[in-house]
Amino acid sequence: MTLARAPRAPRRAPTDLTFFLDEAQVESRAAAEPDWLTADRRAAFARYAALPIETNQLYTTYVDLRTADLADVRPWDEPAATPQSREAPAPAGVAAFASFTESTIDALALSAEARSAGVVLDSVDGLIGRDARLARRLLADDRSLPLNDKLAQMTRAGWNRGVVVRVPAGVRLAEPIVIRWAVGQGGRALLTRTILDLGEGAAASLVEELEASPGAAGRGEPQALFTGSLEVHLARGADLRVASIQDLPEGTVAFQHRQAEIGEGASLHWALAQLGARLVRSRVDNRLVGDRSSVEQVEIVFGAEDQLFDLTSYTRHSGRDTTGILLSKAALMDATRSYMKGLIVIEPTAVGTDSFLGEFGMNLSKKARAVAIPSLEIDQPDCRRAAHSSSVGPIDESQLFYLETRGILPEEARKMIVLGFLEPVVARVPLASAQDRLRELLAAKWDEGAAAAQPAA
Amino acid sequence: MTATRDLVADRREQFAFHDDIVYLAETKRGLSRDTVEEISRFKAEPDWMLQSRLRAYDHFLKRPMPTWTDGLDKIDFDRIVYYRKPSEREEKSWDDVPEQIKATFERLGIPEAERKFLAGVGAQYDSEVVYHSVREELQKIGVVFMGMDQGLKEHEDIVRKHFGTVVPAEDNKFSALNTAVWSGGSFVYVPKGVEVPLPLQAYFRINGENTGQFERTLIVVEEGAKVHYIEGCTAPIYATDSLHAAVVEVVALPGSKVRYTTIQNWSNDVYNLVTKRAHAYENSTVEWIDANTGSRKTVKFPSIYLRGENATADIISVAVAGKGQHQDTGAKAIHLAPNTKSRIVSKSVSKDGGRATYRGHLKVSPGATNVVASVRCDALMLDDHSRSDTYPYIDIQEDDTTMTHEATVGKISADQVFYLMSRGLTENEAQNLIVQGFLEVFTKELPMEYAIEFNRLVKLEMEGSLG
Repeated sequence: MTLARAPRAPRRAPTDLTFFLDEAQVESRAAAEPDWLTADRRAAFARYAALPIETNQLYTTYVDLRTADLADVRPWDEPAATPQSREAPAPAGVAAFASFTESTIDALALSAEARSAGVVLDSVDGLIGRDARLARRLLADDRSLPLNDKLAQMTRAGWNRGVVVRVPAGVRLAEPIVIRWAVGQGGRALLTRTILDLGEGAAASLVEELEASPGAAGRGEPQALFTGSLEVHLARGADLRVASIQDLPEGTVAFQHRQAEIGEGASLHWALAQLGARLVRSRVDNRLVGDRSSVEQVEIVFGAEDQLFDLTSYTRHSGRDTTGILLSKAALMDATRSYMKGLIVIEPTAVGTDSFLGEFGMNLSKKARAVAIPSLEIDQPDCRRAAHSSSVGPIDESQLFYLETRGILPEEARKMIVLGFLEPVVARVPLASAQDRLRELLAAKWDEGAAAAQPAA
Repeated sequence: MTATRDLVADRREQFAFHDDIVYLAETKRGLSRDTVEEISRFKAEPDWMLQSRLRAYDHFLKRPMPTWTDGLDKIDFDRIVYYRKPSEREEKSWDDVPEQIKATFERLGIPEAERKFLAGVGAQYDSEVVYHSVREELQKIGVVFMGMDQGLKEHEDIVRKHFGTVVPAEDNKFSALNTAVWSGGSFVYVPKGVEVPLPLQAYFRINGENTGQFERTLIVVEEGAKVHYIEGCTAPIYATDSLHAAVVEVVALPGSKVRYTTIQNWSNDVYNLVTKRAHAYENSTVEWIDANTGSRKTVKFPSIYLRGENATADIISVAVAGKGQHQDTGAKAIHLAPNTKSRIVSKSVSKDGGRATYRGHLKVSPGATNVVASVRCDALMLDDHSRSDTYPYIDIQEDDTTMTHEATVGKISADQVFYLMSRGLTENEAQNLIVQGFLEVFTKELPMEYAIEFNRLVKLEMEGSLG
């Protein structure tokens, strides 16, 4: 007996993007938005239309969008409803809380302390109404999203939701800011911008939670698209810690852009966990422009089934005595693929740079594939350090043996080693409850993967 | 110290000369289908080789110029003479070599080298092998070492079996160009179980302004055999750009051991675009020992495809980039079989505005279980207007691979220079010593005469930069 075959999908080049942003849709916003914003969207649209999916020739062979089926996906186009809980206080232990479900704003709330310190938390639409000058400075800044990136420019041209957090000079928030996006409704695209602006000497921490909405599409259903920016402006001496837990549903394709301009003496810490989504293409741009500025970026990938994580990180040292420490780790089950691409640029002005880039992979299945491209472009040899290292290896047998001698069952020992490998990001999540949740997510994903790997009894 | 300086000056003078050679046959400038056919006709080649050339020529036309490395668009293919034949036939003995060419080799030191330890000499003067001698004992043990053109005539079956199987014409634009217009190069065949007792050496020279050199080398090493091949290049200095686009194919059959050593010192107007690749079968070992100090731009990534179980790859790549130079070099190890091992060590020095780029590819394909691989790249920058790039590609598709990669970039430590100066060395000498030490991982793999030569080259480079 022969089984009827499903019709074959037409062959696609790995770089073909099936999602099309409609110019008419961009234009339709012009009536409701200020002219400078319309001009900004038009300029971005022109770049989006002209750019290839990957402009960096180092990476053109490592692009694969074939699992993204977005031809029928349409952006949300109605304006966001005003949140009902606008005046409600933020949850306990949180300085500011923004929550979105699909196209709806659920909450935009500040703690009493944050409110009195002058912290601003608003949707982008809200900010334009309230403070057009600030909105224009933050939204129309050409440095805040990479001009040579098609997907970043797509978000810039077509964004339909946005949130802005501003922490005034000198304000040091002890409690974290939490921004939650619950998305994944099939056939819909949510294009978002998130902007963080810290004044001189300000300090804050942010927990970004990307998760499934109640109606999220699963495997086999029409896909959803989520694009998100995180545009960070750090003035002199500012300090920001960002933790992101990406646990999007498996029917969602995610394009992420994080860009930070780091001023004199300012420091930025990224802790990024990538667990969910069918396909993730993410790019981080760290621009160390101020003298003695620093960035620490720790990123983990924990993949299962046929997920693809396409992660690029650019760190540009321009100021003197800047520090960049970047660490990426991927644990890959099933047929997961992970492309970790990192480029450190040390400009002629960047005397005294300390730079380290590490990319480490653990293939847990014969079908998994780990690609690491840790690159350096150095124009200034007067460095404290300019190094990178990379390794890919299986679970260390001697660690396994050691745990087994302590009475731990082999499967449990394997789990401990893999979760331990991913712990560096967990430990950096600034909110205890979010930290616990990330640990649970990782453990649950391991258990699911291990259960799937068990031969049927 | 003056004595050393004089010695260095002497050698520079030795490399910078240009004899007026009467070419007996040459093609018109520029590349066309006619040129390709003409070259094949000059050589009275079998038809399959002509067809191979023509297919490659068509591919060359279709293939766009690579843009991932810069500056290749400056090559003017229409100004190049694709074939020159300086003498009528291959010379078997030294006495038959024309006087004028002999004089050139005298200056290169070939006779002396031969007296000492050469196993055989294949020397390329422009586009043809003009002088060639194989020692009697090599012939006795069945080792073939001759020019590629002669190899095609005398061992057509072996050449036909392997030609283009390691580096297909379609591999890249310049392998297509080479396949279309190749001339000269070496053909080496080592029969089963034979260990070649001494290194085989070939000297290559570009002479004649705008002479492209497209040599093709094929080395076939049968089961259990062992050979070491050495090439060293020198070229006179001219104002306009020369092109050198070579292809080297190595077939290392089961249990064999092949080492290929290169010291590349083309003059600083040469584009050196070389495809070097080896296929390593079961239990074989292939080693590329590759140094690049000359040329305006070198694009070369010696590669090893580990096709059989337990094969081993070892690549040492060294680059020195001075004023106006870009060394775009590196290595590739492609693991296609279980229990294979590879090691890549790269060292680069950039100075006086030069640019050194390491590009590497380490790939473990599905099915290549239990692979052990390591990559180490170190770069030294001698001043702050030079540049150093590192682009390693690591692609692992098995779950039990053990792979490590490390890279560092730095400058000469002021402490080390100070220490050496306190022992009576000048600053220049101290820096020279440190650079030589940095490159020692390469130098110690060379036969002694070459190690001395290489250290002199480095010294010469350093004198140019600091003296």
